[in-house]
Amino acid sequence: MSTGLRRVILLCLGILGGVAAWPLTELIVRAQGRFPSYLLFVAALGGAVGLLMGAFFGSAAGIFARVGSRILAGMIVGAIVGLIGGVIGLLIGQAVLFLLGGLFLDSYRSFQTVGLPIARAVGWAFLGIFVGAAEGFRAASGKKIGIGLIGGLIGGLIGGAALEYSRLYLPPSLPSRLIGLVVLGLAIALFYGIIERSMAFGTLRVLNGRLKGKEFILNEGRIRIGRARRNQITLEPYDNLADRQVQIRFRRGEALLTNLEPKFPVLVNDQPVKEHRLKYDDVLKVGSAKLFYSYD
Amino acid sequence: MKPRFNSALTAALAAALLLIGSTTLFGYNVRLSQIDPSRLLLTQNVRLYVSVTDDRGEPVEGLGAESFTIFESPDGQDFRRIEGLSEFKPRGASAEGITFLLLIDNSGSMYDTPAGQPTEDTGRMRITHAKNAVRTFLGSMTQPKDTVGLVSYNTSYTLLAPPSGDKAQVAGFLEGIERPDSEQAYTELYAALTLAVEDFTGFGGRKAVVILSDGENYPYFEHSGKTHPEFGEKIYRYTEPIRACQEAGISVYAVNFAAQRDPNLEAIAVETGGTVFDARNQEELARVYQRIHQQVAGEYLIGYRATMTPAERKYVRVQVRENGQSQQATRFYFSSTVFGLPLERLSALLVIPFVLAFVLLWLISLLKFEKKRGPATLEVLKTRVGRAQTRVMPLGTAKTVIGGSRNADLTIVGNPSVKEQHATVIYDSKKKAYTVVGSGDLTVNNRPVKTKVLEPGDVIDVGGATIVFDDGEV
Repeated sequence: MSTGLRRVILLCLGILGGVAAWPLTELIVRAQGRFPSYLLFVAALGGAVGLLMGAFFGSAAGIFARVGSRILAGMIVGAIVGLIGGVIGLLIGQAVLFLLGGLFLDSYRSFQTVGLPIARAVGWAFLGIFVGAAEGFRAASGKKIGIGLIGGLIGGLIGGAALEYSRLYLPPSLPSRLIGLVVLGLAIALFYGIIERSMAFGTLRVLNGRLKGKEFILNEGRIRIGRARRNQITLEPYDNLADRQVQIRFRRGEALLTNLEPKFPVLVNDQPVKEHRLKYDDVLKVGSAKLFYSYD
Repeated sequence: MKPRFNSALTAALAAALLLIGSTTLFGYNVRLSQIDPSRLLLTQNVRLYVSVTDDRGEPVEGLGAESFTIFESPDGQDFRRIEGLSEFKPRGASAEGITFLLLIDNSGSMYDTPAGQPTEDTGRMRITHAKNAVRTFLGSMTQPKDTVGLVSYNTSYTLLAPPSGDKAQVAGFLEGIERPDSEQAYTELYAALTLAVEDFTGFGGRKAVVILSDGENYPYFEHSGKTHPEFGEKIYRYTEPIRACQEAGISVYAVNFAAQRDPNLEAIAVETGGTVFDARNQEELARVYQRIHQQVAGEYLIGYRATMTPAERKYVRVQVRENGQSQQATRFYFSSTVFGLPLERLSALLVIPFVLAFVLLWLISLLKFEKKRGPATLEVLKTRVGRAQTRVMPLGTAKTVIGGSRNADLTIVGNPSVKEQHATVIYDSKKKAYTVVGSGDLTVNNRPVKTKVLEPGDVIDVGGATIVFDDGEV
């Protein structure tokens, strides 16, 4: 899968996450009066959004790796982490909204058109930050947490403002919360798609065989390559490689490749290696697969 | 530019009427001086600071919890009574500072003597007394958390210094107040008090306007017959500042500099929980600041459990009953949630997008991104210098030339280090193998070569252009 296709799929997942979360948020918002307190109401709302968006983003790694079991596992872990992130994020967001709203309400000027949208956008930003970062926590990757954080922050700001302005300026029949949620999902996905690459240690592009053209973005400190599905890079359709064949560790700007299974040779630039410090444009041969390590 | 009441009789009659009016109109006044919803999210509790004052602005103390009833409303119309108070504390003032805005009258008559006689002696002018009064006030401010701002008003309203802790700055602006020309000499008293509310933007806690005035509201449009440059034909009524100040929890303290005061000034002050002072009494003037703090110290702290009805702002009404009399005050606090208000109607169709999202996710998960068998190709991944005219080049059965020439099969233009025919890929139909042969500098998999039998996935570098060979097999 090329980077372009990967981005498109991420965007689809972001939109779908927003669409899936919308009906549940409408139900909970509608039931506000039945909740005993704002604390439980906000926690339920944040949890619902985090759970669904987390599940959809959590499926991404499995979809890219084409492993059904990993899609399901990713969704479950993503949902749990998203739920926790959503609860924390929305509680902070609501606390900030109460604080800012109270401040802006003291002013008679432009409360509806400026004060409330700003306050709500900042509230949403906290939800976005935690929901976005949840995928990073799921993958236990500091870089992914950072990417999600920025995406969530920007997405939340735009999503919250979109919710408010769509309600102010668009016909009331348009579901403004759906617009806000889709914008939030889109922005998180967009940042994963765009920043993921620039914040990564590099990419490994498959040059031959069934996975030709597929690009693996290296945004975790330790990458393992092999036939087994538990590796970050699964080369199932290729021969002459072990279940776990190669490990690449990124430390202090260096990428150290280790051949974990000496039974099968691993070549870098046509030379067999046990350990090798990778540089960009190196050509790796792992089993019958060839991979191009680059950064662009 | 104001009528001057020279007749002592008229003045005495007016004062007597005013006195009668105040005692019959005002028993005591209830003001919600502050709503503190900071614990709403964690404990569901809202705290109210309620000031109950008599018609002299003195705090009414000793009331019990049973005298207070709280109501809450999502729209300001339909109020629901709150059963039970979670907290009740007489003299329960919070430690927050007070925001003061000093409004100094700079109309034409402020340049007369206190008795209303024209004078050129600056020392005898009312404005000089008013400036001294402001200095006295600033000098008496002892609480470090308090902030103060300065406004001058006449035909126009001018914010000279927004509220801050810098008292020296306010004193500095005081010196800059100059005599207005005839067009600016009118007294838009009610407009100034209404507009002042907006200059408390962003300030929480208790808020007080101290207005230093020498007499009646004297609107520009009404008395000049010309349209006001800012207010047009609008004439502010005295009820406007009362409503605006009550809604924002601002109390008005008036300091009067003339024998006559505006007939509604006392109503404005008392109904907003403030009071009127006489500037001729310097001692009383120096006590204005302490008086306001005393009033704050006498406030009742009331806590209650908030309702969960969805609303962007919740209206709180506190009703005080004492001796068969009932007085109330209403204010609102911000109660909007991150996701806003609910839809008017929920449709069962909402289940469709929910299910649809999961169905689409399932379909995406079924997509196969694997490559199928295809022809052998050369694919240009990137070029360091110049550009390739073709990105993917299917390899024929004969030979394929890579070079800078326009006649080459794979042309790399704009790179002088690439020869006309830099490398050739030759197909051996017997061995079914492709071989690359270089006439210039050539690397395959980062190793310099002259010739090499290509494997699928080999990376050929021609003058910085990275080209991948693939035999098309999967």
